[in-house]
Amino acid sequence: MKSTRRDLFLFAGGSAAGALLTPAPWRLITDTALWSENWPGVPAPPRGEIRTRFTNCSLCRAGCGVRARCVGDQPVQLTGVASHPLSRGVLCPFGLTAHHLPYHPARLKQGPHERALAAVSAAIGSGDRVAVLDLQPGRTASWTYRRAMAALKNGVYLTNGPSVAYDLHQAKTVLSFGVPVLDGWGTPGNVIAARENFRLIQAEPVESRTATLADVWLPVQPGDEDATALAMAGELGADGSALVLDHRGPAAAMALNQRLGALGRTVVARPEAPVPVEWRSAAPATALAQVEDRSIRVLLIDESAVDGYVPWYQIERKLVLDNPVVVTFTASHGGYARHAQYALPTAVYPEISEDIPTAIDSVAATFRLSTALIAPPAGIVNPAEWIATLAGLAEGDTIRERADGIHDSGRGAIYTPADGKTVAVKDLTAEAFWKSLGEAGCWIDEPRHARAPETTTAVSEPHAHDSDVDLPLVAWLAGPSSPPLLSPLMTKLYQESNLRLAPNRVALHPSDARAARLADGVHAFFQTRLGRCGVDVTIDPGLPAGVVQLGTAPGILDVYRPGIRAKVVPA
Amino acid sequence: MKHRAKIAFLAGLLTALGAGWAGFPLAIYRSRPQPVDFSHKIHADKAGSKCDDCHAFRADGSFAGIPTLDKCAGCHAAAMGTTVAEKTFIDNYVTPQREPQWAVYARQPENVSFLHSTHVTRGKLKCEACHAAQGSADMPRVYQEDRISGYSRDIWRGKRMTDCVDCHQRQGLEHSCLDCHK
Repeated sequence: MKSTRRDLFLFAGGSAAGALLTPAPWRLITDTALWSENWPGVPAPPRGEIRTRFTNCSLCRAGCGVRARCVGDQPVQLTGVASHPLSRGVLCPFGLTAHHLPYHPARLKQGPHERALAAVSAAIGSGDRVAVLDLQPGRTASWTYRRAMAALKNGVYLTNGPSVAYDLHQAKTVLSFGVPVLDGWGTPGNVIAARENFRLIQAEPVESRTATLADVWLPVQPGDEDATALAMAGELGADGSALVLDHRGPAAAMALNQRLGALGRTVVARPEAPVPVEWRSAAPATALAQVEDRSIRVLLIDESAVDGYVPWYQIERKLVLDNPVVVTFTASHGGYARHAQYALPTAVYPEISEDIPTAIDSVAATFRLSTALIAPPAGIVNPAEWIATLAGLAEGDTIRERADGIHDSGRGAIYTPADGKTVAVKDLTAEAFWKSLGEAGCWIDEPRHARAPETTTAVSEPHAHDSDVDLPLVAWLAGPSSPPLLSPLMTKLYQESNLRLAPNRVALHPSDARAARLADGVHAFFQTRLGRCGVDVTIDPGLPAGVVQLGTAPGILDVYRPGIRAKVVPA
Repeated sequence: MKHRAKIAFLAGLLTALGAGWAGFPLAIYRSRPQPVDFSHKIHADKAGSKCDDCHAFRADGSFAGIPTLDKCAGCHAAAMGTTVAEKTFIDNYVTPQREPQWAVYARQPENVSFLHSTHVTRGKLKCEACHAAQGSADMPRVYQEDRISGYSRDIWRGKRMTDCVDCHQRQGLEHSCLDCHK
């Protein structure tokens, strides 16, 4: 009997039907999916001893205590430290997934070191003004910048960090104008601990996560903050138990806080850990706005530790028109690397070894180290060392010098997470104090050293403008700002699901979207009179009409300022 | 002619069923023996050992997993019995101070974090709940490794994510993605 082509097809059909009744095809699909988890490039921790190490998170100045579960030397899980006096066992979602950051595909790993050094050296040699912009002042690196700028002719040290700190534990009422108090502001564990003792009034146009958890939500339109504050001042009392926070910055709420008696009580000058006496001749901190326009030839930006973003238009107008040199130290392409001539790669947490400045919600100065859990890759630049070398400062272990300075002061006590104990500094030798810091210890000063902040007034810009007539929307930041690099897990949980507005997205009310002929998910341009940038659109019926809610990508922040009018147009 | 078509189809069907059920498991798994013929039964019966005598928790609460050679050498620096397995173990590992490369049946994928301390100390879960009768086995089973995924065949036997979720649901316990996938 001769087999025909028909027999062959029938046999194949039978085989296919039979195969579906066996585990083979289903198992192959599962196995292939599992195999894809271990593709080349996907980091897999080596087998090894499982142990616990401690560090402090340096993603923001909250500096929460971190317990790292490590396989060998590789951290595989980060959690909070329950007995930590500041963070109280809490880590934010960014901190929980921070051990993924060194493997981020968008990470900057190579940079033009020699060309940057040659260009900066040549410009400095000509005697023009050189400046360092420090986006997280108060660190030991910040003092290195200040000393370096003092050593250079025409050196200026620029900051944009908060000049004040707040004590939520002393406050009975907190009036917040758009500050995401319960959504990433300050030290999350500390805010949660203080929450039951204060009444929170959240004033903002959007019912944010903080607004939903507040005792009262006041739907205030952007630009109406000052009028609302004045109207409420009488109700809050002037005994110092009320505190006002403003998304436009500490200066915007300074007058009201002064009237409420909060200065020196719940609002204090930003406390800072002591420094060695010889450092005190360093250059003073200068606000960027105080520098005259078109005066900076060389600008060095430390983006390795950030505490907010300065829009590029504010920086750009300070640079000379003729061939300025801008170098940024960064871990990503997304920030100032878009504008700088030279972007030099830096380490990311948890590769980074540096100290963390005092948090915005701590009225006592603190000092803790983010000790590296893994080694940074080759080719990474330490911005403080780079700038110190440029200025010819003597080499030395500056963090150790500062730790010795704190020890010499004899103030405060240090908590160590491994044993959960707190010991007064005066009971420790300098060596033991340094050892405790190396084990992720947290030094906390005595609160009696807190002092009232200098009173400043905000420089307000008019909200309306002749060219605003075709800008029908008011811009509102979704806050809080995210770190420059996000874990892929965070991308899954918060961005693809739209639970949190992704950094490059804007959200509109359906009626505003219809008027602008925009559909959900489309690419569009967000435009203000400062410029425009490409964004993706989310349509959210929960938003009020007339407001465009913004993600916090640097491109958006470059064309934003509080209360600015805007429009979103199809791409 | 009609029967001929049925025969061809059935031949294909039966061939695929045979290959899928009998041949596929043999092909997909690579077998390798454990480095030592370790008997849990002898250690439990004769030495009176309990699970946590060797699979201990450290002072910080973390689980030590499979004991290292130091622990074994504490008793077996010299032969205690007359078995070939013990002699081989001492000659091949204890004397040259070489760690045995145990194949772990329950090894989970890299993206899973499982805490023994939570389940044993707080949840009071017995070892047998997940590891079945492994603690009383006379010989270690042959380790079977999936040729494609690289994982042990044993993780499909009561150690899948759905098994964890089912158990948590039965016990009325909360669970979320980040509990295990951190």
